[in-house]
Amino acid sequence: MNQIFLVLKREYMTRVKKKSFLLATLLTPLILPSIIFVIVYFGTRDKKSNQDDIIVLDQSGYFTDTFNESGYAFEYMTGSLEDGKAAMAEKEAFGLIFIPPVDLEDKAKTSYDGFAFYSKTNPSFRVLQDFEKTISTKLEDVKLQKSGLDQEVLKSLDARVSLESFNLTDEGEESKSNAGLSYAIGYGTGFLIYIFIFVYGSQIMQSVLDEKTSRIVEVIVSSVRPFQLMMGKVLGVGAVGFTQLLIWIVLIGGLSTVGVSLLGGGSQEVMDAMAQGQSADLTQGQEMAMKIQELIATIPVGKILFSFLFFFLGAYFLYGALYAAVGSAVDSIQDAQQFMLPIVLPILAAIMSMFFVLEDPNGGLAVTLSMIPFTSPIIMMARIPFGVPDWQLALSMILLVVGFVGTIWLAGRIYRIGILMYGVKVNWKIIAKWFTMKV
Amino acid sequence: MNILEAHHVSKSYAQHRALNDVSISIPKQSIFGLLGPNGAGKTTLIRIINQIIMSDEGNVLINGEKLNPSHVKIIGYLPEERGLYKKMKVGEQLMYLAQLKGLSSGEARIRIKKWLEKLELTEWAGKKVEDLSKGMAQKIQFIATVLHEPKLLILDEPFSGFDPVNANLIKDEILELREKGATVIFSTHRMESVEQLCENIAMINKSQKILDGTKKEIKDSYRSDKYNVQYKGKISELSGDFQLLETKNIEDDMFEATIQAKAGLNPNDLLRELINKTEVHSFIELIPSINDIFISIVEGGKKS
Repeated sequence: MNQIFLVLKREYMTRVKKKSFLLATLLTPLILPSIIFVIVYFGTRDKKSNQDDIIVLDQSGYFTDTFNESGYAFEYMTGSLEDGKAAMAEKEAFGLIFIPPVDLEDKAKTSYDGFAFYSKTNPSFRVLQDFEKTISTKLEDVKLQKSGLDQEVLKSLDARVSLESFNLTDEGEESKSNAGLSYAIGYGTGFLIYIFIFVYGSQIMQSVLDEKTSRIVEVIVSSVRPFQLMMGKVLGVGAVGFTQLLIWIVLIGGLSTVGVSLLGGGSQEVMDAMAQGQSADLTQGQEMAMKIQELIATIPVGKILFSFLFFFLGAYFLYGALYAAVGSAVDSIQDAQQFMLPIVLPILAAIMSMFFVLEDPNGGLAVTLSMIPFTSPIIMMARIPFGVPDWQLALSMILLVVGFVGTIWLAGRIYRIGILMYGVKVNWKIIAKWFTMKV
Repeated sequence: MNILEAHHVSKSYAQHRALNDVSISIPKQSIFGLLGPNGAGKTTLIRIINQIIMSDEGNVLINGEKLNPSHVKIIGYLPEERGLYKKMKVGEQLMYLAQLKGLSSGEARIRIKKWLEKLELTEWAGKKVEDLSKGMAQKIQFIATVLHEPKLLILDEPFSGFDPVNANLIKDEILELREKGATVIFSTHRMESVEQLCENIAMINKSQKILDGTKKEIKDSYRSDKYNVQYKGKISELSGDFQLLETKNIEDDMFEATIQAKAGLNPNDLLRELINKTEVHSFIELIPSINDIFISIVEGGKKS
């Protein structure tokens, strides 16, 4: 046990002391939100700053001051299409909307054509859709008026409905559920496990290979059992990943608390306001902050966090040991490629099935894949935010433990032989032979 | 008292028998030569002693006890395939390896300091191994092997890859450790490199032990009773106990000859015979080197 700890300590310290670890750990939680912020910022800013001119050539006579899409200045004119094109060139306008004469007297007619948009560069799909919608709305309005129906009457015919969803527990307690948030959490945690398996798995493999190629491994195994060395390595690298994860949770948690309170001007204030039902007095930002807090209250944070750490570690042990075995079997990282496929395949299968699982979190595929240890960490994390029966969660966890004990045992048998084999052209048959070989 | 005894040790890999019924005993505080060509099974035997692998049959006793994990701490092993963590600092690396051998960090720190001073490497303690010259890295490797003051030092091809200066330095350190009570096993296929150092020898060829004993016994039993003599003036005739195998004129009336003496006679008998007949300038008994003995056994084995 002491030996494992010494190996663990070395693996942990050499990694944590690296500058690259510090940078990746501290910057990732800052960079990701920054990128999102920058995208959103430019996305919204774009529309406001560029006041592109658009000429509306209206031959129907219905469109006066109809368009109001933000980011554009509209100028209305009449005349022939040629006049419009000339005006567009003269005024250096961005585009020209051409509206032909429209016959709205014929009640049977519901589709109109001849409309066109001319522009110097390709307009975005969304802009075109917006214009289309504006035109059709206007024509509908005109047709409504002509049909003699009153606007007021029409409005009173509206019946808006919103379907609120609740989760009902066996005890009859109900809690508000939110499919969108569940989707985001399921996807996010599943994806994080996926990334960590790859990043830290290959670190284990690299570490095993380094010891083999630098030839220090024989010195080490004269003091430590190969299994202890392998376990120390898997645990040490895992501890690095775990440290990184905890720092991220704290940083992201802290940052989002700060973010939400900046938005709402102090969460306590929002809470108070909520309690007093003064939502009318709240600013828009405060309202948003309140919504976010309300949302967070709907998800079982404790359960998700605990399951995440459990499945994260389980997945890591399961795949980490296999990565160690591959590292021990080969002499260079290039040779490792051929043995990576069986490791990578189930991970890829899991991440690809995740989209179907998120659509139908309690379907047959979801339940099956969340039981198989090779896919369960990613798939179960995708399911948990939508609610998973406790017995399924427990069974999946037990199977995962059985799974990683199994792969560690298997990997250990290959590792103990592999690390002492130099210059052997390894194939699956040889690995199978190592597996059964006596030490 | 023997520090190590191996009894009828055998080990097989898939189709290949790496060791076949090998027994050796190594007296305390001796220098033992485990000799044999590449692939003979020396490294397999050493790995068994180091508990890196296990024997299929037979057993190994250290100080009379069956091999067990506590023995790891009294063995210092310098493998043939050796290396260090390139990215790790010298001091941290030695500390790590010493702790793996069960040393406390405080004790290890004192010994590392002492050894680095002794081999004039103190200023390199904070440097990474990749920044060291090959010779310095070899010295560090040696320090790592002996830091825990092993009672049994196993050196596999110790001088391969060492430059002559370092090889001598390491040789002196090894002899000093022996003086302090350590037992040393040299494993090598370059027999001439350890011939002067070893007191006891075992030879392994093709997985089997073909010879063992003290160096003196072995050499005595392989004496050929041949002498090389340089002398002035021709020898006309020798008594029946001696036979001139080969003579060669070196210059003017100086000759060199190889003389075969009858078994059981000692060098003085030949000297007495020669003094009466010629003027002796040099007189050497042709004792076979361990390497010669090895070759003669292997070739003899082939013939039979």
